[in-house]
Amino acid sequence: MKKILALTLVLLQPLLAAPEDSLVRINSTIQTFSASQPWEKSPPRSRRGLGTLLPGNRILTTAAMAADSIYIELQSADSTKTVPAKVSAIDYEANLALLVPDADPGFLKELKSVELATPAKPGDEVNLLQLETNGEPLGTIGTIRSMELLSTFVNGRYFLCYTVKASMQTSGNSFTLPAFREDKLTGILTSYDSKDQISDVISVDIISAFLKDASDGTYVGFPSLGVGTTTTEDPHFRGWLKLPEDKGGLYVTRTLPGGAGDKAGLKKGDVILSVSGFPIDRRGYFKHPEYGTLYWPHLVRGGPAMGAQVPIEILRNGKPRKLKGILKKAPLPLVPTHGHDEAPPFLIKGGLVFQELSKPYLEAFGKDWATRAPLNLLDVLNNPEDYEEGRHRVVVLTRVIATEATIGYDRLGSQIIKSINGNPVAGLPELAAALEKTPASGIHIIETDEEPYQIFLDEFLSDQVDRDFLKRGLPILKRLYKVK
Amino acid sequence: MRIITRVLLPLAVCGALPAQLKEQPAPLATPSIIQKPTLYDSVVKIEVATQVPDYRTPWNSGRFSGGTGTGFIIGPNQILTNAHVVSDNRRLLVTRRGSSQKHVARVRHVAHDCDLALIELQDIKPFEGLPYLEIGGMPKLESRVSAIGYPVGGERLSVTQGVVSRIDFSSYSHSRADSHLVIQIDAAINPGNSGGPVIQDGKVVGVAFQGNAQADNVGYIIPTPVVKRFLTDIGDGKYDHYMDLGISPFPLFNPAMRRAYNLPENGKGVLVANVVPAGPADGILERGDVLLSIDGNEIDSAGNIRIAGEFVDMNEIVERKFSGDKIALTLIRKGKKFEKELALKKFPHSRIYSIQYEIIPRYSFFAGLVFQPLDLNLFASYKFNNRRLRQIYADYVSKGLFKDMEDVVVLTRVENDRLTTHMGDFSGMVVQEINGTKIKNLRQLHELLNAPDPPEYHVIRFNGANRPLIIPSSEVTAAQKRIMAQVGVTKAAQLD
Repeated sequence: MKKILALTLVLLQPLLAAPEDSLVRINSTIQTFSASQPWEKSPPRSRRGLGTLLPGNRILTTAAMAADSIYIELQSADSTKTVPAKVSAIDYEANLALLVPDADPGFLKELKSVELATPAKPGDEVNLLQLETNGEPLGTIGTIRSMELLSTFVNGRYFLCYTVKASMQTSGNSFTLPAFREDKLTGILTSYDSKDQISDVISVDIISAFLKDASDGTYVGFPSLGVGTTTTEDPHFRGWLKLPEDKGGLYVTRTLPGGAGDKAGLKKGDVILSVSGFPIDRRGYFKHPEYGTLYWPHLVRGGPAMGAQVPIEILRNGKPRKLKGILKKAPLPLVPTHGHDEAPPFLIKGGLVFQELSKPYLEAFGKDWATRAPLNLLDVLNNPEDYEEGRHRVVVLTRVIATEATIGYDRLGSQIIKSINGNPVAGLPELAAALEKTPASGIHIIETDEEPYQIFLDEFLSDQVDRDFLKRGLPILKRLYKVK
Repeated sequence: MRIITRVLLPLAVCGALPAQLKEQPAPLATPSIIQKPTLYDSVVKIEVATQVPDYRTPWNSGRFSGGTGTGFIIGPNQILTNAHVVSDNRRLLVTRRGSSQKHVARVRHVAHDCDLALIELQDIKPFEGLPYLEIGGMPKLESRVSAIGYPVGGERLSVTQGVVSRIDFSSYSHSRADSHLVIQIDAAINPGNSGGPVIQDGKVVGVAFQGNAQADNVGYIIPTPVVKRFLTDIGDGKYDHYMDLGISPFPLFNPAMRRAYNLPENGKGVLVANVVPAGPADGILERGDVLLSIDGNEIDSAGNIRIAGEFVDMNEIVERKFSGDKIALTLIRKGKKFEKELALKKFPHSRIYSIQYEIIPRYSFFAGLVFQPLDLNLFASYKFNNRRLRQIYADYVSKGLFKDMEDVVVLTRVENDRLTTHMGDFSGMVVQEINGTKIKNLRQLHELLNAPDPPEYHVIRFNGANRPLIIPSSEVTAAQKRIMAQVGVTKAAQLD
């Protein structure tokens, strides 16, 4: 019934652009760096999806389509015309990217841009658009069953999404598809479960915040409180915390140093009772007046802008307190959770390979990385607070290439570097700088956290080895960055 | 078939029919076998009934089981066999060759780290007159040996022959943690062979003890240096275990490393990369020392020495010594040469890494929470994935964690009950402190939790947990009674 209604609307208003007139095919070539040999790239992969033309020749798609891309091509619906494109703004956590043509807009001029829809509610109908091989649009009407905070690209970062019930016919090999409501863009579908016929769609609320941020040409990102929390369902735990029965509450397990929560005075052991006036229940949810029950980070990421004041009510030692958080981006974590579009820093000296510890590095240990990766490195990921002092990154001797300078060191690996010639190592640039200065003895002393605790490297010999490396196919011996 | 019967007949009847035998054209050997027992007669069958504790339900009786093995008489009422034959035994029965009578025996000494045990009979009389097998030396590579025992596949004594294929330093699977000298032979060694002698020229050259599931025609035997060491160790009436220097050596191959330690390029000396705190070398050796010789044997840069022309790890010197024995070391520290002497001593903390037997599992059961001390037995029963637990286990000896934690107490189980509904996430974690007190051992934990006047809430903090576990003490008594009855726990704790 409603399907017919939507169709009649289009027919009755011929002046209004049809949503399919805004569709663009996106072919992107993605290539990442090798985790174990960071000086080289892994084989490229290609990814296909759809983008939607917005006013100003901008194309909106997911970050998954654009992250780590080395070449992006926009294609007309019938696949006959192409235009190269580049990324103008990208948010890996929210899984959104804005592309612009990297040449004459070409066929884009023939398309019609769409506008953003107003926020949707559970029960609303959406039209999920695909393109058939012949260029014809294929629409599927679905219903927003609920609204949830989901992480659709980078693990552990939750943003407002719709879960849409729709029986889709799948065409194409990717699930980056636009969703429309009353011919206006209302979201981007990121995944579809054919068994349950449920798809996850990034909400227009998040898209509109993303576009607003990107509108001035510099993209900042979504704010974060920078706290780790756990639930307070356990009645005994609640009793000990002196949490009244009529209250909810989230227990703060950690605050990122320098984050908005830390600056507001939040401490480990506090119980967050409300954020922006919304009471938080014992599992971390709050009641949104229109969207239903949502996970609390939406109060930080889903509405207020960067720099906005967010009142936070807490319970500390059984006594209520009021704090004010000023929203900002999360401080950089000690162990980066992702490294999209960033070439991983590394340094090779005489055959010793130094890298900065990151989650992608650990994930490269395979499917069971959480148990297979070296214990000492996993401990840093799980308990970064124990390693934060004097460091902005954790430098690891990840492997030893057999050379004349590394004789006897072959079995070393996964050692956390503490100092070079007595200089503490705060990150890879600091390690590089310390290695620049040759001690009088001509031997560098590298202090680590595991046996043998001290490794010695001959400066003259390792220089020779390094020159040889460059002759024998290693393109570069280091990739560093400036410490902010 | 007839031939086999004729040959075996004299052995089986054993003098029961001497009159009949006389009337027949008797084989020449028969009378001598009856009168003078051979070396085969000193190889006995051991039947064992075991009771193996279950670490997942330490309050239960455990699993009743049993098996058979082989032993051999080496002296007056001394039967040598494998430790794994007699481990966790409730009853030991010994049977003589050609007899069906079972004789009760008991373990006198057991060495789980080298898989050897000495058992004795309650009544020696039926075994009197049997020859004692003599412990010989090391057999040569490619020389023939015979393994004697009571393996599966038949009731009577079995003899298999093979050659010595390899002499190596290898792991002893019984304790899952020890490595000693091992001889590999190509004679089949099967279940039941365990503890049996391997003979060459009438002398014992080894004790059959393990096979290799991944290879055919491979059997492993414990060579006589290991057997002799065991027999010497128990000479004072108790077994002291193998000794260890308590250091981690690191090869000194790297020229820059050698220059940093002021060493010439002569391929000598090994680095002390770590000294186990409170171990025998603590206070005598330091991290960064370079060991040049051990008991007068020059050490090369890989930590090897040469004994009697054989190239072996320097630990071989320690392997042959006993508790209290001295070791002389020459070392370089900060460019200066030192002569040091250290006394070997028992180091029980390292047993956290080996399977232990004949012990009653310790635990404390508190309101549905099961606390147990961490060791390899516990690790073998539970799959621990908690990274902090695994890190603590790995560092327990090398980083001296045992100094502050005699026991690493783990919350192994959370029994389901209305009190423990939200506590399941804590299982598999190491207890750090209770009510503000750091936990050093299981007894202290048990006493803190069962203190006469407890605080309103017991606050249990775990290593690496994001929140404490809280138990209201007012609910403990009722919950303890209720859950113990539900789960079938009859005893709240086993602390010794």
